[in-house]
Amino acid sequence: MTTVGRRVRPVDWEAKTSGTAIYAADLVPEGMLVGRILRSPHAYARVRSIDTSAARQVPGVHAVVTAADLPAGRTYAHVGPPHSDRPLLARDVVRYVGEEVAAVAADTEEAAEAALRAIVVRYRSMRRAPLSVAQARAPRAAALHARDAGGRNVSVHMVGGWGDADTARAASAMTVEGRFHYPRINHACMEPSTTLAWWNAAEERLELWTSTQAPYFVTKEVALALGLEQDQVVCRDVAVGGGFGSKSKAGEHEILAALLSRASGRPVLMSLSREEEFAATKPRHDFSVNLRAHAAQDGRLSFLEADLDVDNGAYNHFGPMVMAVGVKTLGAIYEPDAATWDARLVDTALPPGGQFRGYGMPQISFAMESLVDELAELQDVDPLEYRLRNANQPGTVTLNGSRLGSARLAECLEAARDAIDWDRKKADPAPYRGVGVAAGMHGSGSHALHPQANRSEAIVTIDDQARVEVLFGGADAGTGQRTILAQIAAQELGVPLDSVSVVMGDTERAPFELGAWSSRGTHMGGHSVRKAALELGDRLRTTAARLLDCSAEEVELGDGSAHGPGNVTTIAAAVAADPDAREGRLSVHSVFVDTRMEPRGGANPRPSLSASYTFAAHAVEVEVDPGTGEIRILDYVAAHDIGRALNPTLVEGQVVGGVVQGLGAVLGEEMLHSHGRSITASYLGYPVPRAADVPRVRPLLIEGPEPAGPYDAKSVGEMSIVPPAAAVANAVYDAIGIRLRDLPFTPDKVLNALRERDGRKRQHRLWRRPDRWQSAVVRAAYPLGVEDALHKVGTRFARSVEPAALQELRHPSSTAELLQDLGPGTAVLGGGTDLHEQRRQRLTAPLTLLSVRDVAELRTHTTDDGGRLVIGAGVLLHSLEESSPLVPAVVAEAVSSIASAQIRAVATVGGNLVQAKRCWFFRSGFDCYKRGGTTCPCYAVTGDHRFYHAAVGAHRCQAVTPSDLATALVSLDGRVALAAADGTRRELPVDEFFTGPGETALRTGEIVDRVVLPSGSMAKVGVFRKLRRWEGDFAMLSVAITADVDTADRLLNPRVVFGALAQTPWSSQAVQDVLAGRRLDESTIAAAGLALDRELDREGHPLERNEWKLDAAVGLLRGELARLADHIRAG
Amino acid sequence: MASSAGGDEAGALVLEVNRQRVVARADVGAPLLSVLRGLGLTGAKRACGQGECGACTVLLDGQAVMSCMLLAAEVGTRAVTTVEGLADSCADLRAAFADRGAFQCGFCTPGHIVRAEALLRDGKATDETQVRKALSGNICRCTGYTAIVDAVLDTAARRQGAS
Repeated sequence: MTTVGRRVRPVDWEAKTSGTAIYAADLVPEGMLVGRILRSPHAYARVRSIDTSAARQVPGVHAVVTAADLPAGRTYAHVGPPHSDRPLLARDVVRYVGEEVAAVAADTEEAAEAALRAIVVRYRSMRRAPLSVAQARAPRAAALHARDAGGRNVSVHMVGGWGDADTARAASAMTVEGRFHYPRINHACMEPSTTLAWWNAAEERLELWTSTQAPYFVTKEVALALGLEQDQVVCRDVAVGGGFGSKSKAGEHEILAALLSRASGRPVLMSLSREEEFAATKPRHDFSVNLRAHAAQDGRLSFLEADLDVDNGAYNHFGPMVMAVGVKTLGAIYEPDAATWDARLVDTALPPGGQFRGYGMPQISFAMESLVDELAELQDVDPLEYRLRNANQPGTVTLNGSRLGSARLAECLEAARDAIDWDRKKADPAPYRGVGVAAGMHGSGSHALHPQANRSEAIVTIDDQARVEVLFGGADAGTGQRTILAQIAAQELGVPLDSVSVVMGDTERAPFELGAWSSRGTHMGGHSVRKAALELGDRLRTTAARLLDCSAEEVELGDGSAHGPGNVTTIAAAVAADPDAREGRLSVHSVFVDTRMEPRGGANPRPSLSASYTFAAHAVEVEVDPGTGEIRILDYVAAHDIGRALNPTLVEGQVVGGVVQGLGAVLGEEMLHSHGRSITASYLGYPVPRAADVPRVRPLLIEGPEPAGPYDAKSVGEMSIVPPAAAVANAVYDAIGIRLRDLPFTPDKVLNALRERDGRKRQHRLWRRPDRWQSAVVRAAYPLGVEDALHKVGTRFARSVEPAALQELRHPSSTAELLQDLGPGTAVLGGGTDLHEQRRQRLTAPLTLLSVRDVAELRTHTTDDGGRLVIGAGVLLHSLEESSPLVPAVVAEAVSSIASAQIRAVATVGGNLVQAKRCWFFRSGFDCYKRGGTTCPCYAVTGDHRFYHAAVGAHRCQAVTPSDLATALVSLDGRVALAAADGTRRELPVDEFFTGPGETALRTGEIVDRVVLPSGSMAKVGVFRKLRRWEGDFAMLSVAITADVDTADRLLNPRVVFGALAQTPWSSQAVQDVLAGRRLDESTIAAAGLALDRELDREGHPLERNEWKLDAAVGLLRGELARLADHIRAG
Repeated sequence: MASSAGGDEAGALVLEVNRQRVVARADVGAPLLSVLRGLGLTGAKRACGQGECGACTVLLDGQAVMSCMLLAAEVGTRAVTTVEGLADSCADLRAAFADRGAFQCGFCTPGHIVRAEALLRDGKATDETQVRKALSGNICRCTGYTAIVDAVLDTAARRQGAS
């Protein structure tokens, strides 16, 4: 029976869908300790002293390690000398916020945290820390390392080329060029980096259960760190929760867990928090690429010239290699005559970059594939047709030296063209819609980073029950490699798939294998397992031939049997009869060496690193909202030249998953820092795509022979993430004629580009607005030294919240009882969805929580005698979400946009209203004005304030009120009723309840009792919509519109309220005046938009980079008025 | 009368988990997720600990919630169901996940299964748009979601046909 090529279920499906698959953090050996890491709070500082004596005295602490416990000069090997520059723990210097300074192991998390707090480190902050490539290259920048590459903070300077550049330049007939930026991107694997390390002192051996793609590199790096032989370190098979390159080399968690286990003699579990995962692991490198592309007289792409800066971060890791591989893209996909590069790897005091799916190619490809479109346009040639003319051909050698066997780029382009209906959409373009295409090429494995990178080994064993075991040293972080290897063994041995087990990542049992990186899983592992299984099959056939009295060639293995021409025996019998069988088991150990792969750094300066190369063409249709700047992906097809899909479902999964990960980087993902500290260290701040954020991606598998591949298979895992950026950029250009070159393509960039193109400029006439003068002066002074002074000096006086463990949770049964208990050290607990976050973020530390769970009167939702809707503060959001007769449409729409179903199932109305501001400086531990007090700066003024800060009316704090519910309630002229312990009740309009960004009129001893909506609220029409970076995000901007409609469809009492525009919900008087008494037709909508535009000129006072929100407000208003008009028409 | 957890009582916590009464020892500030994992129910995962990713999703009286953001002491008498408690009754959904390729690394899968099963039981897995929105509290970094959405829609259609 054939299993290769079939859509069989993953071999681990039952465990993974039932929650029984075991990941490293699911193991709890007796005596296990918890590991924690002390990280640098400084971007660049001298470490003057580290005192761990108090930490060692904390009860339950078993080990504390610092650089003092390690041999001087010991570093990570990573890419190897001379680039190995990172100490295992910071010794004299810290070079980024988050760098590891010490690690502790303790009985409990609490003890470990207490120990971290007890470590005293004295730092001396260094001046002019290079916090960006631009700063690092500036003449006065502090040098992060002593380097000799030439140029300040340049770690590697790579200048070179292929082909005859002079001739190519002379023959150039036309040129296009641009500067392209690809930011830092986080892998955001669902499983945080996790290691369980267990040192056995008697045997002097370390066992690791770790979240890795490449156990070989882990054991090598850990052995080096601990001064052991590699075989003293053993990895065990464990499920791995995603890698995407991040786990293809050793991480710091493995080394530190190992050090702690050896120091304590106990098993130690080190599992990073999500915040550490975002702020302190090694992201995709930020590339800034200046690229010039030339076409020759015949129109052919003929010459590429690149000048680029790669943000290395604070240490080299694999940066030199990522840069080199990225540059190789210039000589792939097409057939230019020459390419040159001048590339600098620049040290910055930020977390070091690492390996990420695509490895430098997505960054260069974005630039190259954008310019290819521009060259086509210059010649008035369809961009897809232009690619067809220039595409790599099978059997050729590319400019970068890759020797192509099969190459089906042209077929991919044609398939993508047909699937997306390219020709029709190009011929008859819809307004604001566009199609774009981009191509790519990737090897299957790569003879780099290790002298034996073209080698893979496997052991396949069959027993006398015909059960097969595959032993393979690589690890499957989710690619499905385990299933592919099982399919191969089952195929060659003629046994059912479920009698094959695959043991992966056990470095004690498995032979040499370098793991899953460089798209080598199927090519290398497929070949070595196939080779072992074929040899084993030959053995079985030979033995069976004896039993069946025929020749070995006549024997066929299948269905667990060996079939001869006339008779049959079982495979089990053949195993038993084999003279080499030991204890009923027959094994073959294969060594596969792919001599077609040429080594990097060998004799050939342009080595063909891989034995086969895959191609892809992605086509995408987008729609751009010129009012709000949103880009919607309408359709996405991804055609991949995969040779043969060994399991089409798994291959399609790699395509779709890679595309969506790529789209994440296109539409929103970027890691942002301020003063070297991450402001996007959570899924809130870092917009990984959600199911509702992305379209159905349609994979197209283009199959055909590839002699180099196992069963013709080529790679797929990395290829899919390369084209999305340029494909979308090209589609956006097709839609609106704007070329976006700075990822991600957030709405601010679209609207800024449109405004610039149209030559529009806002006039805020601040000189006529005395109430804004003070803010204007302060903002102007911030970059001139004021922020610096407040940051360096003022924050020394910042107030702080001392962390304290929660002591009690009470469940009062009435409001009166709750109010009685309310006092210092207490807090009201609703759903806890903000309170627990604030506790974690050290914004508050109550000792006692008073839950509203059992307060029935707070959880009622009724209509009172006056027809008013009364919603208790403890009512859950999800109960408002359903269009029940008691919820106005505008409220239902607002609520359904909040967070997730799971959050809405516990979050309360009162909690939503009183949640604190979501400013990512305030929430990221910055001692800002609001957290630390008046001596501290507002970091949003000069920091990244594009999305979540006010563009109207802010003063010292630029944050906004985060509650979407508040915006909706204001649009209904809702009121909030507050209750106090002394029996006082007061009621105030919702818009007066909010006194500042996420700040309320609530007094000490008061709680929100209920929300009251006027009678007639249910009769109003209403809409709510927000601009957000991901489904469930807080608003970048929102609008709530309500009105009564008379019998002639005229609007009465219209209310138009914007959220996240000003500090508190902001009503547009001008728009309300326009709408009142008018029918909602096109002219009314246009007039309303114009009125808002002028009002925002008068009232707006945006920060440097959030003026786009004023434009977006107009676009959002127009769109929502149109939707409201539809509602009214529909009755 | 108010009930209270903490103070002298800190430690002993009675919960109903997967239809069984269990007694756990936990600090008053312990999230439900930690308590469940401490009981050996490691299907719910800690991926963010901040209620932002859905990997820790469990059912509370049939409603999907984030167990990392819910204090165990807040659960009270409400029934907790984890993926381990659901696995047998949603074998069809799990098989659909396998057939569609709806998981890769599998770390988010228990949360997705629990969330999707709640959606199916509520009869709300009716079309792709709705399913995508309803699943948006659960991040998957591997699959790009299409396969997950299809697995849920397949299951909804099969159950519809069977009923």
